[in-house]
Amino acid sequence: MYGASVDDVKHDEKEDAGKMAAFEARIARGEKIEPGDWMPAEYRKQLIRMISQHAHSEIVGMLPEGAWITRAPSLKRKLILLAKVQDEAGHGQYLYHAAETLGISREEMVEMLLTGAAKYSNIFNYPTLNWADIGTIGWLVDGAAIMNQTMLARCSYGPYSRAMVRICMEENFHKKQGQEQVILLSQGTPSQQKMMQDAITRWWWPTLMMFGPHDTDSPNSPLLVRWGIKTRSNDELRQDFVNQMAPDLMALGLELPDPDLRLNEETGNWDFGAINWDEFWRVVKGDGPMNAQRMAARRKAHDDGLWVREALAAYAERQARLN
Amino acid sequence: MSDTQWPRFMVFQQVVAGEPLVHNGTVHAPDLEMSLLNGRDVFLRRPAAHALWVVPVECILTKTIEELQDGSWLTGVKEAGGPMARYHVFGKLHHQGQLEQIGMVEAAGPEQALKTAMSEQQGRTVWVWWVFPVSSVLASDEDDIDSLFRFAESHDFKNQAYYPVITMMRQIRARGKR
Repeated sequence: MYGASVDDVKHDEKEDAGKMAAFEARIARGEKIEPGDWMPAEYRKQLIRMISQHAHSEIVGMLPEGAWITRAPSLKRKLILLAKVQDEAGHGQYLYHAAETLGISREEMVEMLLTGAAKYSNIFNYPTLNWADIGTIGWLVDGAAIMNQTMLARCSYGPYSRAMVRICMEENFHKKQGQEQVILLSQGTPSQQKMMQDAITRWWWPTLMMFGPHDTDSPNSPLLVRWGIKTRSNDELRQDFVNQMAPDLMALGLELPDPDLRLNEETGNWDFGAINWDEFWRVVKGDGPMNAQRMAARRKAHDDGLWVREALAAYAERQARLN
Repeated sequence: MSDTQWPRFMVFQQVVAGEPLVHNGTVHAPDLEMSLLNGRDVFLRRPAAHALWVVPVECILTKTIEELQDGSWLTGVKEAGGPMARYHVFGKLHHQGQLEQIGMVEAAGPEQALKTAMSEQQGRTVWVWWVFPVSSVLASDEDDIDSLFRFAESHDFKNQAYYPVITMMRQIRARGKR
């Protein structure tokens, strides 16, 4: 077979106990599952859901930061932000490629995003109101994404795990850039400090929500853990994030909007207050501050890009005639 | 026409001159030249590279360790006459690794090329084999390096060391207050 086993998915999904046992044994041995390999239909479905959502998040994630490119306070900060937003576009492309190896087309995925059938990370439904939001997104939002992605870099599906290794490298870079901005603003003039505090106050809770519902309310989790897609739970990752971030932010003199936040001497963890899940679900279901604007911007970008797709198609047609 | 219906191309990257090429992934494109540009945009936007190859997917003969396990495929390969051609041989040497360049053979067809490669690499565990004719590859050349792959070294802000956050945090903690 020529090339076929590489990413022409055979969709041999007749599930029998023997195939399933062999598949699960491979995962138990820590092997990577590759595109042409047999996999249960549910494994394929869950991966398509996760990877395409992840790709959409990278693409939509360009919008809140992109809004500040023209208003960056210096040329240096503008260059940093431009390069970061370009990275997010690259991550989106990379992830769409990984999802395509599972037998879904780019058009289907884009269509699902534009019609609202597919989700993207909830965090991007919040607005970026001042310049300090950009540093906050870099440090906190990319920092939270890295916790999740470092786990996914070890996941059982080869193309996803390899995409994650590369993406984590760049996200770590974004995190450092963001942290540097937060440090400088928090140590800056009184008005810079005030702006920084405002950003942290608004972004802290939405960032904690990025890890998803509590383990007890996360229906897909057990299956994802069993098949080596996820290796750690939402709550574990969230706790690690708080443990890492809270002391650093407090060292900078920033206040976190949670009266219950304190170091638990017994467990060594930072205990934190209850998350407002009503808000979480309201935003997921479309009623966040920026949902409508984000989708309108994506649809406009897709429509405005039509001429590019048409030009490429015309080029392809001409090449086909010439060859 | 939808872009994903365009032919697929495998993309390979060489990080440093003289090292084996490594498989990166696939791109869709109307032709080889566009696939090289797409491959560059998707896989080499940030990392520096020495060379990039693209190969039409249909030119690649692939066999997995499972498909070769019982030896029936190998015994079915006939000796063939006809013109000899050179073939690149790639293999996946670790379960969790990517395919990498492991050699080149001369043979009268792809099956014969793989058979020759297998006998040359005896004793080595290869999880997946790919074999394709040297003539099917479009490779970037030396002149492409500057325009396509050169890392922007003059841009300090792209350098990790430009953001000494660990030192900054340590200094602030040492001060004990803002």
